[in-house]
Amino acid sequence: MVRVMVVDDHPMWRDAVERDLQAAGHEVVAVASNGREAMARFPAAAPQVVVLDLQLPDHSGVQVTSMMLEHDPTARVLILSASGEQTDVLDAIKAGATGYLVKSASSAELIDAVTRVADGDTVFTPGLAGLVLGEFRRIADGPADDPVDQLTERETEILKMVATGMSYKQIAARLVLSHRTVQNHVQNTLRKLQMNNRVQLTRWAIEHGLDDTRE
Amino acid sequence: MVVTVNMVGLNAYRRDNFEHPDLGLAVVVALAAWTVAATWLYRDRARRTAVLLVADLAIVLAALVVTPWVKSPDFNATIPGFYVMGAFFAWAIHWHWRGGLVASALIAAFDLLPRSEVDQGNYGNTFLILIGGPIVGFMCESLQRMARERDAAERAAAAAEERTRLARAVHDGVLQVLAMVQRRGAADGGEWAELGRLAGEQERGLRSLIRQQDTVPTGAGGRVDLAGALEAMATAHPVRVEVATPGGAVLVEAHVASEVVAAVSACLDNVLAHVGPGATAWVLAQSAPDEVTVSVRDDGPGIGEGRLDEAAAQGRLGVASSIRGRVEELGGTARLESGSWGTEWELVVPLA
Repeated sequence: MVRVMVVDDHPMWRDAVERDLQAAGHEVVAVASNGREAMARFPAAAPQVVVLDLQLPDHSGVQVTSMMLEHDPTARVLILSASGEQTDVLDAIKAGATGYLVKSASSAELIDAVTRVADGDTVFTPGLAGLVLGEFRRIADGPADDPVDQLTERETEILKMVATGMSYKQIAARLVLSHRTVQNHVQNTLRKLQMNNRVQLTRWAIEHGLDDTRE
Repeated sequence: MVVTVNMVGLNAYRRDNFEHPDLGLAVVVALAAWTVAATWLYRDRARRTAVLLVADLAIVLAALVVTPWVKSPDFNATIPGFYVMGAFFAWAIHWHWRGGLVASALIAAFDLLPRSEVDQGNYGNTFLILIGGPIVGFMCESLQRMARERDAAERAAAAAEERTRLARAVHDGVLQVLAMVQRRGAADGGEWAELGRLAGEQERGLRSLIRQQDTVPTGAGGRVDLAGALEAMATAHPVRVEVATPGGAVLVEAHVASEVVAAVSACLDNVLAHVGPGATAWVLAQSAPDEVTVSVRDDGPGIGEGRLDEAAAQGRLGVASSIRGRVEELGGTARLESGSWGTEWELVVPLA
């Protein structure tokens, strides 16, 4: 059983997701329809997994993600989005979300994703894998002095397979690896992405003198 | 105001030049009063009418005309002196170079005509007025036009942004409903499953359309967005296709884009022919500074060992060779891999 919080501004969706999760034996500990409500209810509800619609009316999906994870780093955020806005999705993942699903995914896929995210696994769609590959590509083509982690060849290879819709099982079979190893590689790509994001943010802060406390 | 003070001061200093000091004082006081009135009148846009501008200029001209009677006929400086500036700037600002020209010509004429003799200084002053009027007018016109153009551009940008925002809100609502129908349809089965499948197709189409909109081609030097072109082609293709792009536009030469899209389309045709209409395919576009890589995978049973060689031997490799041909034409390579996980084409095209 996983303690879940559902954040979505469409009541229709909130109810459907809530029903599905409860039917699968999970506990929905809180619901919210915008970023403000979500932040107000998150600390008391202490969910393990937050199912979050990026398209909130107050445009706060990415911000909500980072605030929640700052408050409780053990919580997991699963992004559920209708339109798959590219930059928003990537920003939410950089902010620490570990899963992404489009809303047209079936209830079985959603429940599976919630369980996996709760276990610390990452849930990628092919589209997201493509974006992450693109992001690392942009980093690789950027200034060479960047102190950021690049993907290993193996990680790139696996991410490419995820981006062409292959399941971890298929990837494991194709590369003659264990399922767990494939999982670890995918997790590593996200960890590196989030780490790079932090490095960039820190560097930006230093360049702009935000670390200077003497003043 | 400054020129008024200048005018009052100069006239007070040179009052011994006046033949009729009382009359001169009256004229100066009248001009000073008019300055205060004009300052107040010009402040409000609604009061800046042609009548005001004509009155302003007429008063200045009148002051010029009365100079010979008030001072001696062979006077040196007119009573208003540099005070004429105010009126002719107003004309230049309001009616641009034409206004500036008319006002400066009138002032020059009224300044020169009453004089008994024209010396070099008078000539220089009137010449400056004649030149300055149209130039100030022209500059005002340019400034106003630039301000108008900037306002128009800002308005257009704001309108476009608002349209996109509204479209997003509308699209999001539609996508939510389509996704919901698809989800419920799949759960209920039967006729509803068919409806759900249709909703799913529409949802994918709309989603890809939105992404194409996000990556509007910047169109620099005849280059087009390959990612958007792949999305567009894949949406229209009968095979169910998911397209993954690096995010943002992948700009390539137009003919490279059309050839790559045609090659990928051929790959998808192949999927349809060998795996069937129930197949799903994935297209992944990756972009590096010197090359683009497009992978196409299907979830079919794969091609058996030796099947390809056999087909090649029998000369039945039409589609595969057309894919290779297109890519090699662009100086790239096409690689085919197959296994229990399906069949995958990897097309690598260099960007010269």
